[in-house]
Amino acid sequence: MVKINLKVNGKSYTHEVADNLLLIDYIRDVIGLKGTHRGCDTGHCGACTVLMNGEPVKSCQILAAQADGSEITTVEGLEQDGKLSLEQQAFIDNHAVQCGFCTPGFLMMTHYLITNINHEMSDEEIKDYIHGNYCTCTGYKPIINAIKDAQKRYFELKKKDIPK
Amino acid sequence: MYPPQFKYLRASNLKEALEIMNSHDDVTVLAGGQSLLPLLKLRMIAPSELLDLNFVNELKYIKYEEEVLKIGAMVTHKNIYENKLIKEFVPVLSETAHNIGDLQIRNRGTIGGSIMEADPHADYLPTLMALDAKVKLKSLNGERVVPVEDFVIGPFQTSIEKGELLTEVIVPKNNYKFLIEKYARRKGDFALALLVLMADLSDNIINDFRIAVGSQDPKPIRLREIEEIVKGKKVEDIDVDNLALKLKERLNPLQDIHGSSEYRKYLTTALFKKMVIKLFEKEIKKEES
Repeated sequence: MVKINLKVNGKSYTHEVADNLLLIDYIRDVIGLKGTHRGCDTGHCGACTVLMNGEPVKSCQILAAQADGSEITTVEGLEQDGKLSLEQQAFIDNHAVQCGFCTPGFLMMTHYLITNINHEMSDEEIKDYIHGNYCTCTGYKPIINAIKDAQKRYFELKKKDIPK
Repeated sequence: MYPPQFKYLRASNLKEALEIMNSHDDVTVLAGGQSLLPLLKLRMIAPSELLDLNFVNELKYIKYEEEVLKIGAMVTHKNIYENKLIKEFVPVLSETAHNIGDLQIRNRGTIGGSIMEADPHADYLPTLMALDAKVKLKSLNGERVVPVEDFVIGPFQTSIEKGELLTEVIVPKNNYKFLIEKYARRKGDFALALLVLMADLSDNIINDFRIAVGSQDPKPIRLREIEEIVKGKKVEDIDVDNLALKLKERLNPLQDIHGSSEYRKYLTTALFKKMVIKLFEKEIKKEES
């Protein structure tokens, strides 16, 4: 057993976990946040993407023990006070969700992109960033549109915030 | 899928890591884990202990000293792609790192881990071989420096000895003109064909030329006999078809369900021709205009 201390969506946790426990299983089964999805389980599909210290990673490819001391953000950490985040709203408004299985991974990637990329992203750039996330329903076009839309909303929000 | 049972060990500094490597028999090093964890889950390996190096900050540096880049083994692909020193002094390595996997994988995967895995399909090996890069191996008894080309001995095999850790990758400065071709069905997959070409050109004369080919059995190859033919020649004297024939004779691609050996030979040769034309013709056009 390994003792770990970490923050998930701003809340601190301390647990004794099995040596071979994966971060995804820690998030889903120990903490009980089921929004992070297990897809291919081999590091290809990106459905399990979470942010670890602000960077997107695949939680099925990391041991819980390796996340000791880190800050994790999952899809549950996006909404604030019961209100959908702007990424989530952009995905709904652009019909970027069909079955919804891959959506949490895409939302985490979108959150990372809009908060870290400071220029308007082209379709090609977005494709390059999201090729570690698979979607077998939408054909990606609505997802790319949603990411662009989310970035636009984020820029607008920031502009609004700056004068205050 | 769950990984098999193992004991998780964590080193907080290099000394501790070397002591564990020295005294434990069945211990596998966990670097970024982006290949190791899938291998564990698939039960391709089942070590009794894993030694996690992610908390060893001593292995996360990038330094430039006396025309040589020194990269700590635990530097991630993302950092290698973004690092200003690497972009300036060895741009071919920066581009190689960017071709690996996807953003999530580049955030975790490390250069030391990738070399240690010695996957013949992987991205770094041909580039590092073309650059004459070396690796530093440390143990409690001392250290040694080995060229990457000799360090990798076969598929998933290196000449590392018990008690040793790969701690540093040593890359000489190189601003040659370069081209990397990685052919994969999907972006980020392992390559069906992987070539790195580098040339030092001045006044239409090829002072130096390097070629390394990946996805080969038993390991990526550096083709010195082709380099020798090209070196010292004028760009317009290069016989592309003849070089391509010589290349094809030397190829021995790994084959699997993604492509037969014959197909990969054809693909690699075709890419090589395209690359030679692009690498040298551009230079001719520049001179004319």
